[in-house]
Amino acid sequence: MIFVFLISGLFIGWSLGANDTGNIFGAAVATRMIRFKQAALIAAIFISLGAVIEGSGPSATLGRLGSVDALGGAFTVALAAAMAILVIVRLGIPVSISQTIVGALIGWNFFAGRLTDVNWLLTIASSWVTAFVVSAGVAALLFYVFRVWINNSKRHLLEQDMLVRYSLVFFGAIGAYFLGANNIANAVGVFVPVTPFKDLPIGSLFVVSGVQQLYIVGAGSLVLGIYTFSRRVMGTVGKDLFQLSPVTALVALLAETIVLFLFTSRALQRVLLLLGVPPIPLVPISSTQVMVGAVIGIGLAKGGKNIRYNVLGKVSLAWVAAPAMAFLFAFVALFVTQNVFELQVNRPLYYTVDKAAVLEIERRGIDSKNLAFVNLRSFDTERSLYKELVLDDAYDPKTAKEIVHICEKHPLLVNLELLKKRGLDRRLNEQQLAALERLDERKFQRKWKFHQALAEDESWQLREPPQSQADKDFNAGIQGDLDILYSVFYNPPEDKR
Amino acid sequence: MALVLKTTKFVESQIDTFLDVVSDSALLFQLGMEDYLAERNHQFEERLNLIRENERKADDLRVAIERYLYERTLIPENRGDVLAILENTDEVVDNIKDTLMQFSIEMPVIPRDLDDLWMQTTRSSVAAVEQLVYAVRSFFRDLSAVNNYIHKVYFFEREADHIGEKLRRQIFGLQIDLALKSQLRWFALHIEQISDFAQAVCDRLSIYTIKRQL
Repeated sequence: MIFVFLISGLFIGWSLGANDTGNIFGAAVATRMIRFKQAALIAAIFISLGAVIEGSGPSATLGRLGSVDALGGAFTVALAAAMAILVIVRLGIPVSISQTIVGALIGWNFFAGRLTDVNWLLTIASSWVTAFVVSAGVAALLFYVFRVWINNSKRHLLEQDMLVRYSLVFFGAIGAYFLGANNIANAVGVFVPVTPFKDLPIGSLFVVSGVQQLYIVGAGSLVLGIYTFSRRVMGTVGKDLFQLSPVTALVALLAETIVLFLFTSRALQRVLLLLGVPPIPLVPISSTQVMVGAVIGIGLAKGGKNIRYNVLGKVSLAWVAAPAMAFLFAFVALFVTQNVFELQVNRPLYYTVDKAAVLEIERRGIDSKNLAFVNLRSFDTERSLYKELVLDDAYDPKTAKEIVHICEKHPLLVNLELLKKRGLDRRLNEQQLAALERLDERKFQRKWKFHQALAEDESWQLREPPQSQADKDFNAGIQGDLDILYSVFYNPPEDKR
Repeated sequence: MALVLKTTKFVESQIDTFLDVVSDSALLFQLGMEDYLAERNHQFEERLNLIRENERKADDLRVAIERYLYERTLIPENRGDVLAILENTDEVVDNIKDTLMQFSIEMPVIPRDLDDLWMQTTRSSVAAVEQLVYAVRSFFRDLSAVNNYIHKVYFFEREADHIGEKLRRQIFGLQIDLALKSQLRWFALHIEQISDFAQAVCDRLSIYTIKRQL
């Protein structure tokens, strides 16, 4: 059943393979610089590598936007995103799967009554515009460099051709790697919190985690897309849409690769942090729009003639229309899935402002005076409690969110056997396991209570406040492990209240 | 990678050899013309044979280059342009051979008074071909220099037309048979035509250069 759910994600993966590979190798194949078979093989290898090795950065970002906690929900969200893609592409608008996924995730948040992290939503939305503009700028700059090189080069035309050809292959491979890394989140990212795969030990050397296996399956769907449909797309992208020469194709490809790298590389993010420069958010961006941006950049560098300015209008329309349509589709589809097919699309969590919660709120130094009007009340959704808390500016949004988190009832039953059965115990070190063992069979009503109990052992303590990037990475690791434990030990009550 | 580099270098050398053949043929044409006017008939025939051989070599090279470009899908974007340049340049060699062969067949009697203008026209046409060879070489190796050579081709073509006209006027001013006048005019026009062929290649070359520039 789980794998049936995954099909909608794999469908997205398939269309990514078919469409986005076209953006990278389209011009090279259409200008006959590379044969389709070569392009498909290179794309298949490097997209898979990128997805498995570096796919978790953008996935984590999407995870922050909405953590779909039920398989039925993940399936419906992915399906809604795919349907929105189909409709918008049919309208001839260059669109990105990441835009529809974001819209669908917000649709899920809305349907399930969860809060959407508005800051992250703005970060993601602004990165679409930024990626498009940066791509145009980088392409224009590269175009000037290439113009000087081509027009003044004393290299033979045939040697130049060979250099361009190998560069197209080389940068195409890098582009495919970052495409896999950046966009795998779109295909299977929503399934990360509910991955059906168990950790797989390969000998005694290393373990392929469930999430990595999910990425491998996702990469497989991308490869299928490349081999079944990308040939036609490459022809369209390379000739009808852009009409690039091999050299301008290389310029556009380089620009696309650079932009994909900027928005995908965790290594670059660490370097920027070390330098004290604000890091670029790791978000899935649209390779189609980055390509359109690059071509417009080249057109502007050529003097601004022959640019189809209506494409600009379509791209900006896609920034709004794609998420909006996906939001609507997701909302309707979730309603149908839940009420017609009677599938669970989200975990039934509830939020109670009881004595334990109030004590914790006070312990964290938050004024509890304003809680009088919600005291001892229970709420079905995050949003309903949040609304009460921010009413009349009783609390600022950040504090209100913290209170919501404290009040969340998430029944847990520590079950070490279940953890071992799923192979997830390999993620933890001996000291962490020993700490868990001490809590075996114990029940907790709230996540933070469970963490507090665990944090009595040093191995589960967060480094607060984090002093360095290493501290932040360490905390993110602990938080990731905790999220897995919350998911595995979730113990739904017989009666809701 | 190494194999492709080897093929690329080989095709490059084939193109260079082809252009050497074109240049040699033009120079041989000038020497042949000098021999003909000085009535060194044996030497003239030797030059003609060399040009015939060059013409065959140019054809073979052109076909080989075409085959390599298509079989190895080299320069797919510029392939058509390069082949057009090579084919049109090859026609210049064909024209040189045909003209000189016609001398060998008809053996026109050229009055001594015409020698100077006759050679001037020949030298201008040959210079146009030589500049064409420079222009084509630059198309492959140094785009920025192409227009400079194309300009020179146009200059020598105009010069050949200008002196050729003088030559034809002088031919018809001579007290000789009309049939001989007509024959000499035909030969003079053929010598001028060599530079016209060179100019026709340059017309295309200038467009292809714009296409190649970014």
